[in-house]
Amino acid sequence: MKKTQLRWLLPLAALPVLWLLYWGMGRDTYVLPSPMAGLQAPAFELITFEGDTVQLADLEGKVVILNFWASWCIPCRQEHPVLVQTERTWDDSEVVLLGVVYQDSRANAERFLAQYGGDWTHVLDPSQRTAIDYGVYGVPETFFVGTDGTISLKKVGPVTWDLVQYQVDSLLAAPRAAASAAGTGGAP
Amino acid sequence: MSRALVWVLALLVTLVAWPGAMTAQEAEPEAATPALQEVEAPAEQADDRSALTDPAEAELDALAAEVASGLRCPVCRNQSIVESNADLSREMHAVVRDRLAAGETPAEIEAYFVSRYGEWILLRPQARGINLLVYGLPLVVLVLGFFVARNRLRKWASAGDDGVAADRPADLGPEDEQWLRDALRES
Repeated sequence: MKKTQLRWLLPLAALPVLWLLYWGMGRDTYVLPSPMAGLQAPAFELITFEGDTVQLADLEGKVVILNFWASWCIPCRQEHPVLVQTERTWDDSEVVLLGVVYQDSRANAERFLAQYGGDWTHVLDPSQRTAIDYGVYGVPETFFVGTDGTISLKKVGPVTWDLVQYQVDSLLAAPRAAASAAGTGGAP
Repeated sequence: MSRALVWVLALLVTLVAWPGAMTAQEAEPEAATPALQEVEAPAEQADDRSALTDPAEAELDALAAEVASGLRCPVCRNQSIVESNADLSREMHAVVRDRLAAGETPAEIEAYFVSRYGEWILLRPQARGINLLVYGLPLVVLVLGFFVARNRLRKWASAGDDGVAADRPADLGPEDEQWLRDALRES
Protein backbone atom coordinates (compact mmCIF):
# COMPACT_ATOMS: atom_id res chain seq x y z
CA MET A 1 0.00 0.00 0.00
CA LYS A 2 1.19 3.48 -0.81
CA LYS A 3 1.65 6.01 1.96
CA THR A 4 -0.41 8.59 0.10
CA GLN A 5 -3.30 6.15 -0.06
CA LEU A 6 -3.32 5.75 3.71
CA ARG A 7 -2.94 9.41 4.53
CA TRP A 8 -6.69 10.07 4.55
CA LEU A 9 -7.06 7.51 7.35
CA LEU A 10 -5.28 9.74 9.84
CA PRO A 11 -8.02 12.38 10.35
CA LEU A 12 -10.53 9.54 10.34
CA ALA A 13 -8.78 8.03 13.36
CA ALA A 14 -9.33 11.28 15.27
CA LEU A 15 -13.11 11.03 14.85
CA PRO A 16 -13.77 8.48 17.62
CA VAL A 17 -11.60 10.51 19.99
CA LEU A 18 -13.51 13.69 19.15
CA TRP A 19 -16.80 11.88 19.60
CA LEU A 20 -15.66 10.58 22.99
CA LEU A 21 -14.68 14.11 24.08
CA TYR A 22 -18.01 15.48 22.87
CA TRP A 23 -19.93 12.80 24.75
CA GLY A 24 -17.82 12.96 27.90
CA MET A 25 -17.87 16.72 28.24
CA GLY A 26 -21.51 17.05 27.29
CA ARG A 27 -22.92 14.88 30.06
CA ASP A 28 -23.65 15.84 33.62
CA THR A 29 -21.12 13.93 35.68
CA TYR A 30 -23.10 14.55 38.87
CA VAL A 31 -25.93 12.40 37.61
CA LEU A 32 -25.31 8.74 38.35
CA PRO A 33 -27.32 6.59 35.98
CA SER A 34 -29.69 4.24 37.74
CA PRO A 35 -31.67 1.43 36.17
CA MET A 36 -34.23 1.74 38.98
CA ALA A 37 -36.18 4.71 37.65
CA GLY A 38 -39.42 3.60 36.05
CA LEU A 39 -39.39 0.23 37.80
CA GLN A 40 -41.62 -1.06 40.55
CA ALA A 41 -40.09 -0.20 43.93
CA PRO A 42 -38.76 -3.37 45.59
CA ALA A 43 -40.86 -4.50 48.52
CA PHE A 44 -39.45 -4.25 52.01
CA GLU A 45 -40.44 -4.91 55.59
CA LEU A 46 -38.42 -2.89 58.09
CA ILE A 47 -38.62 -2.12 61.79
CA THR A 48 -38.99 1.41 63.12
CA PHE A 49 -37.17 2.77 66.19
CA GLU A 50 -40.37 2.12 68.13
CA GLY A 51 -40.46 -1.52 67.04
CA ASP A 52 -43.30 -1.22 64.54
CA THR A 53 -43.14 -2.87 61.14
CA VAL A 54 -43.30 -0.78 57.99
CA GLN A 55 -44.06 -2.43 54.67
CA LEU A 56 -43.98 -0.72 51.32
CA ALA A 57 -47.27 -2.44 50.50
CA ASP A 58 -48.92 -0.57 53.42
CA LEU A 59 -48.07 2.73 51.77
CA GLU A 60 -49.75 1.99 48.46
CA GLY A 61 -51.68 4.91 47.04
CA LYS A 62 -49.35 7.44 48.65
CA VAL A 63 -46.28 9.14 47.33
CA VAL A 64 -43.33 7.65 49.18
CA ILE A 65 -40.01 9.41 49.64
CA LEU A 66 -37.48 6.84 50.71
CA ASN A 67 -34.41 8.53 52.11
CA PHE A 68 -31.32 6.45 52.91
CA TRP A 69 -29.20 8.32 55.43
CA ALA A 70 -26.75 8.01 58.31
CA SER A 71 -25.71 10.23 61.19
CA TRP A 72 -22.05 10.02 60.10
CA CYS A 73 -22.90 11.33 56.64
CA ILE A 74 -22.09 15.00 56.16
CA PRO A 75 -24.22 15.62 53.03
CA CYS A 76 -27.15 14.16 55.00
CA ARG A 77 -26.83 17.07 57.43
CA GLN A 78 -26.89 19.39 54.45
CA GLU A 79 -30.14 17.96 53.05
CA HIS A 80 -31.84 17.49 56.42
CA PRO A 81 -33.59 20.91 56.48
CA VAL A 82 -35.10 20.08 53.07
CA LEU A 83 -36.54 16.87 54.49
CA VAL A 84 -37.88 18.74 57.51
CA GLN A 85 -39.62 21.12 55.14
CA THR A 86 -40.93 18.21 53.10
CA GLU A 87 -42.46 16.69 56.23
CA ARG A 88 -44.11 20.01 57.13
CA THR A 89 -45.44 20.69 53.66
CA TRP A 90 -47.42 17.57 52.85
CA ASP A 91 -49.81 15.55 54.93
CA ASP A 92 -48.98 11.95 55.87
CA SER A 93 -52.09 10.79 54.05
CA GLU A 94 -50.62 12.01 50.78
CA VAL A 95 -46.87 11.93 51.07
CA VAL A 96 -44.92 9.60 53.32
CA LEU A 97 -41.34 10.42 54.11
CA LEU A 98 -39.47 7.38 55.32
CA GLY A 99 -35.88 7.50 56.55
CA VAL A 100 -33.83 4.32 56.19
CA VAL A 101 -30.85 4.32 58.53
CA TYR A 102 -27.86 3.00 56.62
CA GLN A 103 -24.78 1.48 58.30
CA ASP A 104 -25.53 3.26 61.54
CA SER A 105 -26.82 2.49 65.01
CA ARG A 106 -30.23 3.47 66.31
CA ALA A 107 -28.63 5.47 69.14
CA ASN A 108 -26.53 7.56 66.74
CA ALA A 109 -29.50 8.15 64.46
CA GLU A 110 -31.68 9.24 67.39
CA ARG A 111 -29.00 11.62 68.63
CA PHE A 112 -28.80 13.14 65.15
CA LEU A 113 -32.57 13.61 65.04
CA ALA A 114 -32.66 15.10 68.54
CA GLN A 115 -30.10 17.65 67.41
CA TYR A 116 -31.45 18.51 63.96
CA GLY A 117 -35.15 17.78 64.37
CA GLY A 118 -37.49 15.82 62.13
CA ASP A 119 -40.17 13.49 63.45
CA TRP A 120 -41.02 11.43 60.40
CA THR A 121 -40.70 7.67 60.55
CA HIS A 122 -37.28 6.09 60.44
CA VAL A 123 -36.51 2.42 59.99
CA LEU A 124 -33.40 0.37 60.54
CA ASP A 125 -31.82 -1.71 57.79
CA PRO A 126 -29.54 -3.91 59.89
CA SER A 127 -27.79 -5.94 57.18
CA GLN A 128 -28.27 -3.38 54.42
CA ARG A 129 -30.39 -5.83 52.49
CA THR A 130 -32.97 -3.20 51.56
CA ALA A 131 -30.19 -0.80 50.52
CA ILE A 132 -28.71 -3.47 48.24
CA ASP A 133 -32.19 -4.26 46.91
CA TYR A 134 -32.49 -0.59 45.97
CA GLY A 135 -29.03 -0.44 44.42
CA VAL A 136 -27.72 2.05 46.97
CA TYR A 137 -24.07 3.08 46.58
CA GLY A 138 -23.86 5.30 49.64
CA VAL A 139 -25.77 7.92 51.55
CA PRO A 140 -27.66 10.10 51.05
CA GLU A 141 -29.78 8.51 48.37
CA THR A 142 -33.42 9.32 47.89
CA PHE A 143 -36.09 7.42 45.97
CA PHE A 144 -39.32 9.04 44.88
CA VAL A 145 -42.06 6.44 44.57
CA GLY A 146 -45.38 7.27 42.92
CA THR A 147 -48.83 6.27 44.12
CA ASP A 148 -48.69 3.23 41.86
CA GLY A 149 -45.47 2.02 43.49
CA THR A 150 -43.22 2.99 40.58
CA ILE A 151 -39.89 4.68 41.23
CA SER A 152 -39.89 8.00 39.39
CA LEU A 153 -36.42 9.13 40.42
CA LYS A 154 -33.39 8.02 42.32
CA LYS A 155 -31.39 10.98 43.58
CA VAL A 156 -27.82 10.24 44.59
CA GLY A 157 -26.54 12.91 46.93
CA PRO A 158 -28.41 15.55 48.89
CA VAL A 159 -31.83 16.55 47.63
CA THR A 160 -32.79 20.16 47.12
CA TRP A 161 -36.15 21.70 47.91
CA ASP A 162 -36.76 22.43 44.23
CA LEU A 163 -36.24 18.80 43.35
CA VAL A 164 -38.50 17.49 46.11
CA GLN A 165 -41.21 19.99 45.28
CA TYR A 166 -41.13 19.22 41.58
CA GLN A 167 -41.07 15.45 42.08
CA VAL A 168 -43.84 15.32 44.69
CA ASP A 169 -46.06 17.77 42.81
CA SER A 170 -45.81 15.84 39.57
CA LEU A 171 -46.30 12.50 41.34
CA LEU A 172 -49.38 13.79 43.12
CA ALA A 173 -50.75 15.38 39.98
CA ALA A 174 -50.27 12.49 37.59
CA PRO A 175 -52.73 9.89 38.88
CA ARG A 176 -55.03 12.35 40.67
CA ALA A 177 -55.84 14.17 37.47
CA ALA A 178 -57.95 11.20 36.49
CA ALA A 179 -59.37 10.47 39.94
CA SER A 180 -60.38 13.89 41.18
CA ALA A 181 -59.60 17.36 40.02
CA ALA A 182 -59.80 19.02 43.42
CA GLY A 183 -57.46 18.76 46.37
CA THR A 184 -54.18 18.03 44.67
CA GLY A 185 -51.33 18.76 47.00
CA GLY A 186 -48.89 21.51 46.31
CA ALA A 187 -46.26 23.57 48.01
CA PRO A 188 -47.56 26.65 49.80
CA MET B 1 17.53 -12.55 5.43
CA SER B 2 15.24 -15.29 4.32
CA ARG B 3 11.50 -14.97 3.97
CA ALA B 4 10.93 -17.61 6.66
CA LEU B 5 12.93 -15.65 9.19
CA VAL B 6 10.79 -12.58 8.54
CA TRP B 7 7.63 -14.55 9.29
CA VAL B 8 9.10 -16.02 12.45
CA LEU B 9 10.17 -12.58 13.67
CA ALA B 10 6.79 -11.07 12.89
CA LEU B 11 5.13 -13.88 14.80
CA LEU B 12 7.45 -13.27 17.75
CA VAL B 13 6.61 -9.58 17.83
CA THR B 14 2.95 -10.48 17.75
CA LEU B 15 3.33 -12.93 20.62
CA VAL B 16 5.18 -10.38 22.73
CA ALA B 17 2.37 -7.92 22.13
CA TRP B 18 -0.31 -10.52 22.94
CA PRO B 19 -0.37 -10.46 26.78
CA GLY B 20 -0.69 -6.69 26.75
CA ALA B 21 -3.57 -6.89 24.34
CA MET B 22 -5.22 -9.57 26.45
CA THR B 23 -5.07 -7.58 29.67
CA ALA B 24 -6.48 -4.60 27.84
CA GLN B 25 -9.27 -6.77 26.58
CA GLU B 26 -10.65 -7.87 29.94
CA ALA B 27 -9.74 -6.87 33.43
CA GLU B 28 -9.55 -10.39 34.83
CA PRO B 29 -10.30 -10.28 38.52
CA GLU B 30 -9.77 -14.01 38.88
CA ALA B 31 -6.02 -13.96 39.32
CA ALA B 32 -6.26 -12.39 42.75
CA THR B 33 -9.29 -14.24 44.03
CA PRO B 34 -8.42 -17.89 44.73
CA ALA B 35 -6.29 -17.13 47.77
CA LEU B 36 -8.85 -14.66 49.08
CA GLN B 37 -11.71 -17.08 48.62
CA GLU B 38 -10.30 -19.31 51.31
CA VAL B 39 -9.97 -16.42 53.72
CA GLU B 40 -13.42 -15.07 52.98
CA ALA B 41 -15.33 -18.31 52.95
CA PRO B 42 -15.19 -19.33 56.65
CA ALA B 43 -16.10 -15.82 57.77
CA GLU B 44 -19.19 -16.14 55.62
CA GLN B 45 -20.65 -18.89 57.78
CA ALA B 46 -23.72 -17.64 59.53
CA ASP B 47 -24.53 -20.84 61.43
CA ASP B 48 -22.63 -23.79 62.82
CA ARG B 49 -22.46 -25.66 59.53
CA SER B 50 -18.82 -25.44 58.63
CA ALA B 51 -17.25 -25.37 55.21
CA LEU B 52 -14.55 -27.59 56.67
CA THR B 53 -16.93 -30.40 57.57
CA ASP B 54 -19.70 -30.08 55.01
CA PRO B 55 -18.58 -30.42 51.39
CA ALA B 56 -21.89 -29.02 50.11
CA GLU B 57 -21.36 -25.85 52.16
CA ALA B 58 -17.80 -25.56 50.89
CA GLU B 59 -19.03 -25.92 47.33
CA LEU B 60 -21.64 -23.22 47.89
CA ASP B 61 -19.01 -20.91 49.36
CA ALA B 62 -16.72 -21.50 46.41
CA LEU B 63 -19.50 -20.81 43.92
CA ALA B 64 -20.58 -17.71 45.84
CA ALA B 65 -17.01 -16.43 45.79
CA GLU B 66 -16.80 -17.12 42.07
CA VAL B 67 -20.00 -15.20 41.31
CA ALA B 68 -19.04 -12.42 43.72
CA SER B 69 -15.63 -12.05 42.10
CA GLY B 70 -17.41 -10.83 38.97
CA LEU B 71 -19.37 -8.14 40.82
CA ARG B 72 -17.97 -4.68 41.37
CA CYS B 73 -17.80 -3.25 44.87
CA PRO B 74 -19.98 -0.09 44.68
CA VAL B 75 -17.83 1.89 47.11
CA CYS B 76 -14.37 0.91 45.83
CA ARG B 77 -12.30 1.50 42.75
CA ASN B 78 -12.29 -1.46 40.38
CA GLN B 79 -12.42 -4.05 43.14
CA SER B 80 -14.69 -7.04 43.28
CA ILE B 81 -16.91 -7.56 46.31
CA VAL B 82 -14.73 -10.56 47.21
CA GLU B 83 -11.56 -8.50 47.38
CA SER B 84 -13.20 -5.62 49.21
CA ASN B 85 -13.54 -5.40 52.98
CA ALA B 86 -16.27 -2.77 52.82
CA ASP B 87 -19.41 -3.59 54.83
CA LEU B 88 -21.55 -3.22 51.74
CA SER B 89 -19.36 -5.68 49.80
CA ARG B 90 -19.50 -8.26 52.57
CA GLU B 91 -23.25 -7.97 52.68
CA MET B 92 -23.51 -8.23 48.89
CA HIS B 93 -21.36 -11.35 49.06
CA ALA B 94 -23.79 -12.72 51.63
CA VAL B 95 -26.69 -11.87 49.33
CA VAL B 96 -25.00 -13.83 46.54
CA ARG B 97 -24.56 -16.82 48.83
CA ASP B 98 -28.13 -16.66 50.12
CA ARG B 99 -29.51 -16.51 46.61
CA LEU B 100 -27.37 -19.45 45.50
CA ALA B 101 -28.58 -21.40 48.53
CA ALA B 102 -32.14 -20.53 47.53
CA GLY B 103 -31.50 -22.20 44.18
CA GLU B 104 -30.80 -19.26 41.90
CA THR B 105 -28.30 -19.67 39.11
CA PRO B 106 -25.21 -17.42 38.85
CA ALA B 107 -26.74 -15.82 35.74
CA GLU B 108 -29.93 -14.98 37.64
CA ILE B 109 -27.92 -13.42 40.46
CA GLU B 110 -25.91 -11.33 38.03
CA ALA B 111 -29.15 -10.23 36.39
CA TYR B 112 -30.50 -9.24 39.81
CA PHE B 113 -27.53 -7.00 40.57
CA VAL B 114 -27.61 -5.52 37.07
CA SER B 115 -31.30 -4.67 37.57
CA ARG B 116 -30.42 -2.81 40.78
CA TYR B 117 -27.06 -1.21 40.03
CA GLY B 118 -26.90 -1.27 36.25
CA GLU B 119 -24.45 -3.11 34.03
CA TRP B 120 -21.70 -1.15 35.74
CA ILE B 121 -21.81 -3.67 38.58
CA LEU B 122 -20.33 -6.38 36.34
CA LEU B 123 -16.55 -6.35 36.30
CA ARG B 124 -16.60 -8.24 33.02
CA PRO B 125 -18.67 -6.35 30.44
CA GLN B 126 -21.29 -8.41 28.64
CA ALA B 127 -20.18 -9.25 25.10
CA ARG B 128 -22.92 -7.48 23.19
CA GLY B 129 -23.72 -4.13 21.64
CA ILE B 130 -21.06 -1.46 21.93
CA ASN B 131 -19.23 -3.62 24.48
CA LEU B 132 -18.09 -5.83 21.61
CA LEU B 133 -15.59 -3.09 20.81
CA VAL B 134 -13.79 -3.92 24.06
CA TYR B 135 -13.46 -7.53 22.98
CA GLY B 136 -12.93 -7.04 19.26
CA LEU B 137 -10.63 -4.03 19.08
CA PRO B 138 -7.57 -5.65 20.69
CA LEU B 139 -7.81 -8.47 18.15
CA VAL B 140 -8.11 -6.02 15.26
CA VAL B 141 -5.14 -4.04 16.53
CA LEU B 142 -3.20 -7.26 16.96
CA VAL B 143 -3.84 -8.38 13.39
CA LEU B 144 -3.03 -4.90 12.04
CA GLY B 145 0.14 -4.85 14.14
CA PHE B 146 1.14 -8.20 12.75
CA PHE B 147 0.98 -6.91 9.18
CA VAL B 148 2.78 -3.69 10.06
CA ALA B 149 5.53 -5.68 11.78
CA ARG B 150 5.76 -8.05 8.82
CA ASN B 151 6.06 -5.21 6.30
CA ARG B 152 8.68 -3.42 8.38
CA LEU B 153 10.74 -6.56 8.76
CA ARG B 154 10.44 -7.32 5.07
CA LYS B 155 11.75 -3.87 4.19
CA TRP B 156 14.51 -4.31 6.72
CA ALA B 157 15.42 -7.72 5.28
CA SER B 158 15.60 -6.37 1.74
CA ALA B 159 18.00 -3.64 2.88
CA GLY B 160 21.64 -3.84 1.93
CA ASP B 161 24.58 -4.51 4.27
CA ASP B 162 24.82 -0.85 5.22
CA GLY B 163 21.31 -0.96 6.63
CA VAL B 164 19.99 1.28 3.89
CA ALA B 165 17.31 -0.10 1.63
CA ALA B 166 18.98 -1.13 -1.61
CA ASP B 167 16.33 0.45 -3.78
CA ARG B 168 16.79 3.86 -2.15
CA PRO B 169 19.95 5.98 -2.02
CA ALA B 170 21.04 7.23 1.37
CA ASP B 171 19.39 10.55 1.97
CA LEU B 172 22.19 12.68 3.40
CA GLY B 173 22.00 16.40 3.74
CA PRO B 174 24.48 18.50 1.74
CA GLU B 175 26.65 19.05 4.83
CA ASP B 176 26.88 15.36 5.67
CA GLU B 177 27.59 14.50 2.08
CA GLN B 178 30.47 16.94 2.03
CA TRP B 179 31.77 15.47 5.28
CA LEU B 180 31.56 11.97 3.87
CA ARG B 181 33.38 12.97 0.70
CA ASP B 182 36.17 14.60 2.74
CA ALA B 183 36.49 11.58 5.00
CA LEU B 184 36.73 9.22 2.05
CA ARG B 185 39.38 11.37 0.39
CA GLU B 186 41.51 11.42 3.52
CA SER B 187 41.56 7.68 4.07
